[in-house]
Amino acid sequence: MSAVWSVALAAVRRRRLQSAILALVVLCSTVAIVVALGLLEASSWPFDRTFAEQRGAHVVATFDRATVPDALLTRTAGRPGVEAAAGPFGQKALTVADTRQSLPPGPLTVVGRPGPGGPVDRVDLWTGRWAARPGEIVVNRPVEPLFSDLVGATVRTREGMTFTIVGLASSVSRTAEAWVTPAQMRTMNPTATQMLYRFTEAGDLRAATASVTAGLSPSGVQSYLTVKQDVSRTASAYLPFLVGFGLLGLLVAVLIVANVVGGAVVAGQRHIGVLKSLGFTPDQVMAVYLVMVLLPGSAGCLVGTGLGALISQPLLHRVFAGTGAAIGLGVGWWAYLTALVGVPAVVVLAALVPASRAHRLSAAESIRAGGGRRSGRGQAIQHLLSGTPLPRSVSLGLGLPFARPGRSALTLAAIVLGVAATTLATGLFRTMTAYGDTAQRVGHVHSVVHVGRPDQIRPKLGDAAIEALLRAQPGVRHVTADAWIDVRLLGHTSRIKAQFLRGDAATRGDVVVAGRYISGPGEVAAPSAFLRRFGLRVGDRLTLALGDARTQATIVGEVMDAANDLVIASWPTLTALDPGRSATQYEVRLAPDADVETFHAAVKAAEPGLYPRTKSQVDQNSVAVIGAASFFTLILGVVASLGVFNTVVLNTRERRRDLAMLKSIGMTPRQVTLMTVTSMAALGVLGGLVGVPVGIASHRVVVLAMMEAAGLSAPAILLDVWHVAALAALVVAGVAIAVLGAFLPARSAAALTIAEALRTE
Amino acid sequence: MTTGTAAAVRLDHVRRQYGETVALDGVSLEIRAGEAVAVMGPSGSGKSTLLNLIAGLDRPSAGRVTVQGDDLTGLDETGLALFRRRHIGMIFQFFNLLDDLSALDNVALAAQLTGTPAAQARRRALDLLDELGIGDRARTYPAVLSGGERQRVAVARALMNRPAVLLADEPTGALDSHSGEQVMDLLLDLHQIGQTLLLVTHDVRLAERCAGRVIELADGRVTAERTLEGHP
Ligand SMILES: Nc1ncnc2c1ncn2[C@@H]1O[C@H](COP(=O)(O)OP(=O)(O)O)[C@@H](O)[C@H]1O
Ligand SMILES: [Mg+2]
Repeated sequence: MSAVWSVALAAVRRRRLQSAILALVVLCSTVAIVVALGLLEASSWPFDRTFAEQRGAHVVATFDRATVPDALLTRTAGRPGVEAAAGPFGQKALTVADTRQSLPPGPLTVVGRPGPGGPVDRVDLWTGRWAARPGEIVVNRPVEPLFSDLVGATVRTREGMTFTIVGLASSVSRTAEAWVTPAQMRTMNPTATQMLYRFTEAGDLRAATASVTAGLSPSGVQSYLTVKQDVSRTASAYLPFLVGFGLLGLLVAVLIVANVVGGAVVAGQRHIGVLKSLGFTPDQVMAVYLVMVLLPGSAGCLVGTGLGALISQPLLHRVFAGTGAAIGLGVGWWAYLTALVGVPAVVVLAALVPASRAHRLSAAESIRAGGGRRSGRGQAIQHLLSGTPLPRSVSLGLGLPFARPGRSALTLAAIVLGVAATTLATGLFRTMTAYGDTAQRVGHVHSVVHVGRPDQIRPKLGDAAIEALLRAQPGVRHVTADAWIDVRLLGHTSRIKAQFLRGDAATRGDVVVAGRYISGPGEVAAPSAFLRRFGLRVGDRLTLALGDARTQATIVGEVMDAANDLVIASWPTLTALDPGRSATQYEVRLAPDADVETFHAAVKAAEPGLYPRTKSQVDQNSVAVIGAASFFTLILGVVASLGVFNTVVLNTRERRRDLAMLKSIGMTPRQVTLMTVTSMAALGVLGGLVGVPVGIASHRVVVLAMMEAAGLSAPAILLDVWHVAALAALVVAGVAIAVLGAFLPARSAAALTIAEALRTE
Repeated sequence: MTTGTAAAVRLDHVRRQYGETVALDGVSLEIRAGEAVAVMGPSGSGKSTLLNLIAGLDRPSAGRVTVQGDDLTGLDETGLALFRRRHIGMIFQFFNLLDDLSALDNVALAAQLTGTPAAQARRRALDLLDELGIGDRARTYPAVLSGGERQRVAVARALMNRPAVLLADEPTGALDSHSGEQVMDLLLDLHQIGQTLLLVTHDVRLAERCAGRVIELADGRVTAERTLEGHP
């Protein structure tokens, strides 16, 4: 074994550049893999996992303390359909005073609970301890070290109470914003009582809740579905893309590691012959090569896992930050384990294939292979090229790749893979940006004006008058009035939402993927996910029901949206169901030079019962998600470039003897460099020309698959994301990397004295 | 010398074919222990193939190769590797040193393969390099050694395990005449202390100085064989 070790160690030490590139490629790939795995884990329904873990409440019901005594509530736990219940707990809404310390001012729902455990809603008390005596309070905060400072802080309320924060807990069911001891709660004269239920059958939540709370008339019922929707709304829209990037990162990383490792082994053929002539057994030769790639490979993997841990945590937090979920987004130990075990395994596997070839290769042949045999085809092509008017060094360079077709194929594969991966990543990045813009209706809607809810100021103006008022404001281009209404789809039990539109609906920026947009009465457009869920198609008719009213409508178009419980309908369709309904919000597009703030001020002044809100043109979440996509694009680009660089360096090094031979017949160093660089540039151009279409094709496949998974039909805007200039730049980048990889070793070969170069085989 | 007529190497009707090319065509020969034999012939006549077959680096298409009583045809790859460690030392025209290892480690490696601890292997390697007159170059890497120095390192490496048979494939072919001369002297010395030697060369002078017998190859066949005067 010691002979194997010393040869392998020496090889690693003396091939510093190659070992360093291998380590670096493995490092970057490992980072990408850790982040990708973390992303996949975080994306795999974090809510569901946390919900199951905490035994979350399917329903949080609140009751008026004055009318419903605790004893009655305790008995509900025994009613049929209840798997577990917790409570009754006293509940009180306090108002945090504006002390500019600890908690932000405003309402705070506090519940009296003896501890974090129990049969339902086992909140994660992630720092500090539970409240033990009056004056102590536990605050609901997601697991985020940033909040740790809150422990020990003082909270003052407008009611004149003072608390010390003794712990932070995270409740996925969002049962309270803070907790105190039950004894303390009693002294606070709670107005409401809270009950937490888990049902044996959570399928029909409405029915289950009704049966459990029968005769008690709860004052509030919070379904876990509401919370869940809230949590995964933003994340789920981008999920297919993130998963796509994660998988892509894995795949490309593995392929490139395989290519680099394989290249190292193939390049060592003569070395293998020498080892065999010395008496190394085939297994020992394999061992040398495995150790040789495993040493830098493992180092890269270790560092990469560490770096991945450092990068993935903040990245995932940013990506999922908008969800506000009380969820710890840790990358699981399994992700690190997979990287630590899997990456070296890939390295070994990648080395095994060519190493086993070395295993089989007869020693006599390996030694001969060092001598630089030329293929007949190579000679024929050189002969052809020599007849062209090109400078001799250029035509020689163009012929070089054919002299060693195997090596050239490996180099070409690296370039194609690199260019294709980068093309694919760039394309996905653009698709995602386009998708985000569509979801945000960027450029279509600048302001959304809400009508005051019952607890806000109610508008004095009627629906039509409000629309007229908005249209009369300077700078307003288009106004669409919306009413969101729960309706039923006849023939189906589930309830759906209908968004009825009036006015300039066509300017809202809905993307139609099939059929056309709604224009007249009795017309609806539905998201792809909706159509799939109900087995409907464009052209089908459906019946909408609201109360006792019914109306027929035709599906005239399919729009891009991930919602599966929503249809968009024309306003007359609503009139047919209930003529008395009015719009709940107005979507406004302004002229390019109009100022949103000025518009808002004018609206507020004209009608205090309207609540205008700027429609964000740059969604924070999409910024973060696009950040993740950029990260992958960047790291894949780096890994791909390193892979190409490595292959080209190896390839050029191997030709040193050929180069010396050419010098011995009168080639100048400059000509040698030119020739070598030409040979690689030719491969680079070829690789770029093949790689870009391969990248575009795989982009199409990946996007279609992702949209399929998300239940969306992909419109052209998500597929045709290519710009000629950008594609040309990718090809140029491929060539540039190949040229750079060739230039360095070519220059050093050119600088060699002939005798010396000839001596080194 | 001690075993008298015992055959160190024996080939029976050996044939080696690469596709259409017949590199060796029914070669039979015997080399006694302690004998020094030169193989001569034009390039492409099958000399290297013959050497590779004896070293177990290559297998005959037909016929049998026996070295030190071992029938090589019966050995698998691992068996051949173990056989080489024990019985064979090889020298090539282009040295075939490992560029990654210093001269000393190149030589020591051969002993390490047989299980000799590194320190002990290095000590013996240094002794050998000293004997061959390049002890002062032990720490340098092959790339900075002259051709003659490299070949002497290669010889030291080949001798490390006291091989029964030393195979040399045009050992002076890549050397200037002065270095070639030195390597020649080295081989002659080895022969005189009883080393069995099979030498492939173009150089008649080298053959006459070092070998007691010359075998001529042409087109893969033995065309002539003569014993030289003044040799055992
Ligand atoms: N591995 C091989 N594959 C194909 N042909 C080979 C191989 N090794 C040797 N040959 C051919 O066999 C013949 C003898 O080669 P070789 O033994 O190297 O000759 P020499 O050493 O006498 O110059 C030549 O024609 C050579 O091309
Ligand atoms: Mg030869």
